[in-house]
Amino acid sequence: MIKVLFAGEGGQGVQVVAEILAKAAFLDGKKSLYIPNFGVEQRGGVSLAFVVVDEKPVVYPKFDKADILVIFSDRFVQRVKSYIDNQTKIILTPAVKEDSEFKNDSFVKIKAKDFPVKTWNILTLAEANKLGKIVTKDNLRQALEKRFANQFAKDKSLKEMDLKALGEID
Amino acid sequence: MKDFLMGNQILAQAALKAGAKAMFGYPITPSSEILETWAKLCLADKSISLLQTEDEMAAGFGMIGACLAGKPAFTATGGPGNVLMQDAFSMAEALRIPTVAMIMQRGGLSTSTVIYSQEEVRLTCFGGNGEGFRLVYSTSSLQELYDYTFKAFKMAWKYRWPTFILADGYQAKMKGEIELKEINQKLENVTPILKSGVNLRNCYNLEEEIGKIIVNYADEYNQVRDQLEEYEEYQLQDAELVLVAHGIVAGAAKVAVDLLRKQGLKIGLFRPITLRPFPAKAALDYLGKIKKIMIVESALGQLSSLFKDELYELSLPIIDINKPAVGFTPEEIANTVKSLE
Amino acid sequence: MENNKPLFPSCFKTNSKPHKFCPGCGHPLVLRMLGQVVDEMGIADKTIFMVDIGCSLLAWDFFDLPTTQTHHGRTIPTAVGFKQVDKEKIVIAYVGDGGAYAIGLQHTITACLRNNPITTIVVNNTLYAMTGGQMAPTTIDQEITTTTPVGKSEFKTLHGPEMLKNIANPDAYLARGSAFKPLVLKQYLKKAIETQIKGNFSLVESISACPTNWKTGAKQTMERMEQLEKTFKLGELND
Repeated sequence: MIKVLFAGEGGQGVQVVAEILAKAAFLDGKKSLYIPNFGVEQRGGVSLAFVVVDEKPVVYPKFDKADILVIFSDRFVQRVKSYIDNQTKIILTPAVKEDSEFKNDSFVKIKAKDFPVKTWNILTLAEANKLGKIVTKDNLRQALEKRFANQFAKDKSLKEMDLKALGEID
Repeated sequence: MKDFLMGNQILAQAALKAGAKAMFGYPITPSSEILETWAKLCLADKSISLLQTEDEMAAGFGMIGACLAGKPAFTATGGPGNVLMQDAFSMAEALRIPTVAMIMQRGGLSTSTVIYSQEEVRLTCFGGNGEGFRLVYSTSSLQELYDYTFKAFKMAWKYRWPTFILADGYQAKMKGEIELKEINQKLENVTPILKSGVNLRNCYNLEEEIGKIIVNYADEYNQVRDQLEEYEEYQLQDAELVLVAHGIVAGAAKVAVDLLRKQGLKIGLFRPITLRPFPAKAALDYLGKIKKIMIVESALGQLSSLFKDELYELSLPIIDINKPAVGFTPEEIANTVKSLE
Repeated sequence: MENNKPLFPSCFKTNSKPHKFCPGCGHPLVLRMLGQVVDEMGIADKTIFMVDIGCSLLAWDFFDLPTTQTHHGRTIPTAVGFKQVDKEKIVIAYVGDGGAYAIGLQHTITACLRNNPITTIVVNNTLYAMTGGQMAPTTIDQEITTTTPVGKSEFKTLHGPEMLKNIANPDAYLARGSAFKPLVLKQYLKKAIETQIKGNFSLVESISACPTNWKTGAKQTMERMEQLEKTFKLGELND
């Protein structure tokens, strides 16, 4: 069983990548459960996304400690500390500056390179899957393409950018 | 056929397959996707309809109107919407109208959170100025949202008690795998209630008139309850300590039972599936020889009150493990049980 | 012995007569006109009658038509729900001024806004009669009720059909008649039902007498009705 928690604020694309990950697990023939967890604000409030992937049916969508924790912004570092134990692998987006918070834990800081901010969530998805070996790359790509089918149809450059962020193309 | 869906989407699709013809509803988190999914289904199927009403009272009474015309109708709500709908549910209880309502519980007390709790148990089971002549199913998984929707429509029209799927915001919003079974169900007893020769009243003049009706309903409810009650038992065969839980908490409790059994604890789970009528006889049978019970819920003793009300004959220690409006992970239940043992 | 036609409309339920309304009440007059319309239009086999909670509830067994009481203010949404799934029926919501314009006001407005093809009959006696004579949205200026013991003055009187006119579909039918001008009222009721058959919203308000709560004798009741018929304009609300 692998437990992944994505944490950021509304509007950063936290939920969509969690959903894609869970869907990819389904396509792989694994069992998964995804649940969003946020308040009433449509933008800017805390946004948590829990994903559990396992071989056997998943009964409960939330967990106490994450195997992989992805943090999208500084604002929520304190909020998600309770989900960290000494097994947790932490991934930080380029937006997180409080590296000093994690000096005792191992973490991966994603480099922005020339990726625009709106694709940073996809970068975290790729990194989480790399670290956790959660789903097959083919199905992760398929789940992403299916999820953004409408957007990609309207804007081909977006598709190229997202697939690059996923690590599927150079 | 397997698919990957959100709980709310599953409920709407199941309602369609179960024979629902109309939905009346008012948007409220965490149930709104049920309304939205039904709206999309209406585009493809002209035999069904949707009315988004001006408030929850209109939704409840619209649903009653459709049922009176002999068409299976349903609604979905939670929290303050559930509070407002008790006006309609009271009338359904009085006139034996087979309404089906999907209650996606959210935080208790006023507007609260839009997320989750198990704090609408008392409201859904005994709300309104009624006596709880209701059929309430508490589901604990995405698959059960599907399966019990079929059952809800079938039992509502057969037995004519207002019927409820009592779920919660977690089940509503979680996405996972579901088997969209082909359940060939033909609803029995689906005929217009308001027809020639029928004059219905819910207002009476003197005490004895309504008193007699209530007693008659109670007799009937008691006579049919064994056909309505449902429960699940897990690892009770040699259990000394039993957890009692419902809904998604029961799901987590089952995993906790496994964890604790591995540590040598003789523990099991009794899960009521119908909260009304409560599976009292089964509980009595299974729990008669048990040493101790722990009742786990995301509320302040609402399940526990129901349990104690029906099972006062059981004179054994009961410990309430309450976290109002907050969920339990399996590990948390296991740790709490160990610390209290 | 030609004239052996029954005096009651044939859709009346004879075993619930004499009816339970107070002497001098406007309800029986309105109901008699409605009964005649149902007979003359030959629609008894497809009429559904729904009543509110208030004095209108006493009409629950008035007609030999499928009838149901509802909850106070909730007659209109029940009627809308029924009609939505069974468009062949003529669905009538029979309510008082409290049900239509206070507790059920949002339902009245929304049904009109949506042009729901139901017919609402509002029996307006300017107060809440069954509960003992409290103020209503239609209580007129200076009127004494049990909750306005020195006369109402704080806020306006609601003129329902006029208010609805602003949001009604052009093909909807809105009118106000009087229980004391029954034959004119009868025409309005007939047009209202014809409007439903054509698929549009209709609402007919009928000014009505309540000698019991007005505490008026016969003569004062008549005078009061004449006064109300001037305050609440009678007629059809056409463009």
